[in-house]
Amino acid sequence: MSENKIHTENMFLYYSEKMALNNISITIPEKKVTAFIGPSGCGKSTFLRSLNRMNDLIDGVRIDGKVMIDGVNIYDKNIDVVNLRKKVGMVFQKSNPFAKSIYENVAYGPKINGVNDKSHLDEIVETALKNAAIWEEVKDRLGDSALGLSGGQQQRLCIARTLAVNPEIVLMDEPASALDPLSTAKIEELIVQLKEKYTIVIVTHNMQQAARISDNTAFFYLGELIEHDKTKKIFTNPEKKQTEDYITGRFG
Amino acid sequence: MENYRIFDSELDKLAHKVIQMCSQVNLQLINVVLALRTSDLKLARKVINNDELINSLDVKIDKLCQKIFALQQPVATDLRYIISSLKINNDLERVGDHVTNIAKRIEPLQDYKSLVEELGIYEIGQKTAEIFSKVVELVKSHELTIAETIMEEAEALKDECKLIAAKVLEEMMHQSEVVVVATNLLVIINIFERISSYSINIAESITFVVNGEIVKHRKQN
Repeated sequence: MSENKIHTENMFLYYSEKMALNNISITIPEKKVTAFIGPSGCGKSTFLRSLNRMNDLIDGVRIDGKVMIDGVNIYDKNIDVVNLRKKVGMVFQKSNPFAKSIYENVAYGPKINGVNDKSHLDEIVETALKNAAIWEEVKDRLGDSALGLSGGQQQRLCIARTLAVNPEIVLMDEPASALDPLSTAKIEELIVQLKEKYTIVIVTHNMQQAARISDNTAFFYLGELIEHDKTKKIFTNPEKKQTEDYITGRFG
Repeated sequence: MENYRIFDSELDKLAHKVIQMCSQVNLQLINVVLALRTSDLKLARKVINNDELINSLDVKIDKLCQKIFALQQPVATDLRYIISSLKINNDLERVGDHVTNIAKRIEPLQDYKSLVEELGIYEIGQKTAEIFSKVVELVKSHELTIAETIMEEAEALKDECKLIAAKVLEEMMHQSEVVVVATNLLVIINIFERISSYSINIAESITFVVNGEIVKHRKQN
């Protein structure tokens, strides 16, 4: 498997006539946490969503350039988007469990992918919940409604649901921004653990969070990738003045 | 593009205090060299008493840095500036202590003025103070050419101190009656050498603030 998991080259994205991403070339390494930071509207979430073609669902979106995952352009005509999204899972800002039991939430993905054997499903559910660091909290009430869980637990359940279909990449769009500090800490700890098995790309507005959990940080501004480097470098001695101004809060 | 942050007023306050501390230490150094040259015991006493002011500034700067770390989570240049301010503050406080140490040794030297002069102790004191005045200038301006000058001159002065210390040792071997006074002189020479080292440290810290480059131990590496 390639060391560089995701690679884009001269990628542009337009919402109808409006250019939202301007010539993005970036390489995202495997089994590392890469954080995208930048002010609202800078294109970081748009870019994140383009990595599993979530933007396909929006009318008028056009993409030029290459978006390669494991050396394959995911915008090629013969790409199966369902398979792509299995490989590239996503967790959103607001936890969105189904109005089903905890067990069913996690088993849903494997089931629609053809896993019917009960003991195999049990195993998948348990592993996914363990990997999402929520198993101990829910193992005695797997039949209860997922909606009865706290916000932080719901978010970890959604992570478990993503992990259950065995992805290689997990995209996270501000996964902890609606959570209290304790739940945030649990999610952050989980993200750091997950990178042993998965490539994680996270969009966050919380600068300290990016600094705490990511290996690399990419700063976006006005649809452009301004700087991408080791997180340690970005937060101690960034190359570009715009990056420095943003992370130190001097941006007007 | 730039806007004013509450944080900036805290950084301004810190910068002001570090400059104040540096200027105060510089004044103490100039006074102690003058007291040494003129055997002015009153001035030496004043230097000893003024150390309290430096100690109080040291605590204030430490507390301010602690507050900024806790409340503002500084990054990038801000982070480097605060880390360096803590280190510079520490270096300045040590220089302050060394200066009072010299002040306390002026009285026993009164009767040996010609020996002190002959060995060139005043000259290295004067040179140490001149280098330190550049440190004040550097802390105010963050001008890296000054940092380079300080590093070069202070290294040369350290070598000079070693040569003079060797001369003092020689005097001690030949004239047993000067052993006590020569021991004091060795301490003073060693202090000037230490102050040169602290000047280098401060120049390195400012270099780190400006370009993020860690230049300490450059020679060894």
